[in-house]
Amino acid sequence: MKRIILSIFAMSLLIVSCSEDNDDNISTEPLGAYEDGIIISGEGSPSSISFISEDLTTSENQIYFNANNEATGVYLQSLGFNDDKAYIVVDAGTITVVNRYTFEKLATISTGLTYPRYIAFANDKGYVTNWGDPNDETDDFIAVVDLTANTVINTIPVGNGPEQILVEDNVLYVSHKGAFSTNNIVSVINTSSDVLTTTITVNDNPDEMIVDNNGDLVVLSSGKPAWTGDETKAAITKIDMDTNTVSTTLEFSDGQHPELMMYLNGNLYYNLGSSVLSITDDATAVTSTPLFTTGATTLYGMAAKDDRLYFVDAVDYTSAGQLFIYDETSYSLINSFTAPVVASKIYFN
Amino acid sequence: MKRVVLFFLLLVFSGVVRAQITADSIQRLDDVVLSDVKLKRYSHGYKVSVLSDSLLQKNRSSFTDILRFNSNLYFKENGYGMVSSPSFRGTNASQTAVIWNGISINSQLTGQTDFNTINTTSFKNVVIRSGGGSVQYGSGAIGGSIHLNNTLSFSPHFDNTVTLSYGSYDTKNVSYLSSYAKDKWSFNIGLNYIDSDNDYKYLSTDKRNTNGAYYNGSVNANVGYVLSSKDVLKLYHQTFLGEREFSGTSSSSSLAKYDDQNFRTMVEWSHQGDQTFSKLKVAHLQEHFKYFGNKNTENYTFGKVNTYLINYTADIDILTDLKLKPIVSYNYYEGSGSSFDDPNRKEFSTTALLQYTPNNQWQYGLNLRQDITSGFESPLLFSFDVAYEVSDYYTLKLNGSKNYRVPTFNDLYWQPGGNLDLVPENSYQIDLGQEISYKSAQLNLNAFYIKTTDLIQWEPNTSGFWSPENIAKTQNYGVEASLDVSKKIKEHHLSLQFNYAYTVSEDLETNAQLIYVPYHKANFNLAYAYKRMSLFFQHLYNGEVYTTPENLSGRFYSVEAYQVSNLGVSYQLFKTKSQQIDVSLKVNNLFNTAYENVAFRPMPDRNFNFQIQYKF
Repeated sequence: MKRIILSIFAMSLLIVSCSEDNDDNISTEPLGAYEDGIIISGEGSPSSISFISEDLTTSENQIYFNANNEATGVYLQSLGFNDDKAYIVVDAGTITVVNRYTFEKLATISTGLTYPRYIAFANDKGYVTNWGDPNDETDDFIAVVDLTANTVINTIPVGNGPEQILVEDNVLYVSHKGAFSTNNIVSVINTSSDVLTTTITVNDNPDEMIVDNNGDLVVLSSGKPAWTGDETKAAITKIDMDTNTVSTTLEFSDGQHPELMMYLNGNLYYNLGSSVLSITDDATAVTSTPLFTTGATTLYGMAAKDDRLYFVDAVDYTSAGQLFIYDETSYSLINSFTAPVVASKIYFN
Repeated sequence: MKRVVLFFLLLVFSGVVRAQITADSIQRLDDVVLSDVKLKRYSHGYKVSVLSDSLLQKNRSSFTDILRFNSNLYFKENGYGMVSSPSFRGTNASQTAVIWNGISINSQLTGQTDFNTINTTSFKNVVIRSGGGSVQYGSGAIGGSIHLNNTLSFSPHFDNTVTLSYGSYDTKNVSYLSSYAKDKWSFNIGLNYIDSDNDYKYLSTDKRNTNGAYYNGSVNANVGYVLSSKDVLKLYHQTFLGEREFSGTSSSSSLAKYDDQNFRTMVEWSHQGDQTFSKLKVAHLQEHFKYFGNKNTENYTFGKVNTYLINYTADIDILTDLKLKPIVSYNYYEGSGSSFDDPNRKEFSTTALLQYTPNNQWQYGLNLRQDITSGFESPLLFSFDVAYEVSDYYTLKLNGSKNYRVPTFNDLYWQPGGNLDLVPENSYQIDLGQEISYKSAQLNLNAFYIKTTDLIQWEPNTSGFWSPENIAKTQNYGVEASLDVSKKIKEHHLSLQFNYAYTVSEDLETNAQLIYVPYHKANFNLAYAYKRMSLFFQHLYNGEVYTTPENLSGRFYSVEAYQVSNLGVSYQLFKTKSQQIDVSLKVNNLFNTAYENVAFRPMPDRNFNFQIQYKF
């Protein structure tokens, strides 16, 4: 009975609000509090997600916790966005599906994943890189997710330590940073057949990937650092996606191990420590002259959009993180916000 | 040079002592029975509280719970039964020393003891000694030390206790204790096995603690043999074998598993000489862990350390009112593990404890220690303590000390990151205590100040990995109050124990409270016994703790204050001169309170435990 009254009441509200609408002007009801803006995820702990409105006037921390009264888990690796949903990938082996505009929880995928890292979407399916047991170099796989049932329906075995995953024309490109050890390949997967078609060898520890304006896949390999006793060179590698072969390799000097990369308006940005450097699409060598140095203590993530460069600072890995926003041309600081603990990834909603 | 002088002094002292006749036979009895005389005779100016075997036997619960409900110690427990580390007076987990029959058993890998790998049922008593004790007990005794003591009595007896218990989450516990002495032999043995699914419900959610099952078994076996009228030989042994799943957080479960294997063996030879009472101890300790990130696979990481120790000490009565105890000790540690090669460390230490008792009212203690350690310089340590009995009802206690904590194997040798340039953490402290006793009531009030420098902290470095540095500075201060009252009216026995601690523990650079140190912690135990029936009620208040260095408060960034209560009732079914059967029921978390001890790691809901104990 209570329900009926409630629904009548709800309907009456709807009628009232509809009647107030101007029929010529189709209403654009906001989809949720987090519709337009920047989403920052932090590994933790505690892991959390922050939101900053696109006009930078409002910000809110722990949006998932605020919406669901539970934390996001240990450790929050990355987010993925598809249609009106966001997917929160947690190392412990879960993906939480939420409404990307309200961050209200819709479903949890908790079986079939072992040490998941990143998610991408193609052919109406989700693809999740999984380390398996990080000490085992032979059990790594890509989990194929049914996005309606939110279950893992298939696995594609791949080489050790699959990390980031990028989709171009329904083809998956997976960088293999090598989990707890090291690797030097990019896997290519056909999403119609869900099989591994080829692997491309690049420099050691490939991680970040983008597609540049020439239509090349650009892969940043950070190389093995000196402390491993077996230093190898970092490189920016360009891959021709028609032939799946390496077209250009721009190597860094010893001692230079960039780990982050972003792309905006024909400029490829990467880091050396907390300094930011850039080259253009047709550059024949990397530069080691910084454009500017961010205010970050521990630069841990970067992304670019609409004339702005965004950087997250993991600080000391225990204090609250920071988000710094710089102007793309003047490299001046526009604003900064507090971010999650071990803030690592920046997304645009 | 300083070291040489000190060592020389020790030798001279022990050489020139004149003949002493055993002045105090009771004291000598202690020497024979106890393995840790310095706790009894060289701690007059310290607050020392004892948890007796009857409490340990009756109030069967984890060591963490016993201390949580009966002392001022605060514990950070990663979910029930998981890794549990103490904070004593606001210090960190590696600044509390755990002492087994006089020797430190803190892990050489982490510097701390996981209190959920200690089973207390086989110990004669557990002693909590507040305040710095590095001179007596070595590295890590900064906040205080916890002593696990076995005793071997040679008066003829044969006592056995069998205990069976069953409780919520399919928790099964069986233990057998036996103590026997006749003629020249004394034995005691303790066997204990516990097994639990530990799959408690996370209150106010639909989740359970899915990966928290544990089992462990321990053996304590001690033997004493009177070699001659002057010589006694003793063997102490403890084995702990345990396997635990490591539960996840309220939002993500875990697949991890952890195996512990600890072996401790000590042989002690005591000799009553003409001039001195001396003891020679030889011990071997082994700690070994295996961590499985995924319990369904065979892949694991491990760490293992063997400690070999030889220790010589003498109790010398220089004058009737002046006692000296020199200690010379050599420790050799060898480690191996997934994250380092096979490092080893040698440590030679010389200690002199001096106790002066001019009259019945005053007790003075002065103690010095110098270690010579391979790899780093250790500071000269000292401590002094004074106890002054103002009246029969009132005693004042004062102690001050310089203490240290040496870098652990992880700090020194972890690859990558291990830093061979580390020096020990240094700490100065002062502690003023008052003891007021009247009839069967006793009130202890303590105020303390601790300043620690060169704290070892792991930080990300410029090469891209984490490395420990001697950087942080902290100060801790606070007050503690303990009240103990018992009353007997005809056949009604009533007793009350109450503990309260106010603790400030701050980073001297930011002046912010350290994470996981509550400002307020209080507990009380109320016990009532009438004829064959006894009842107890215990209650704990644990103040809010911050989980961020910025001291943010609120649902997400701090762990809320909580209160939790337990209730127990026991009944003596049967009693003759030589046999006794008790049954008891305990309700933990009586009011079914949802609480967390570490952020996002819920603790158990209301649970029950039924126990039957047969003594013969």
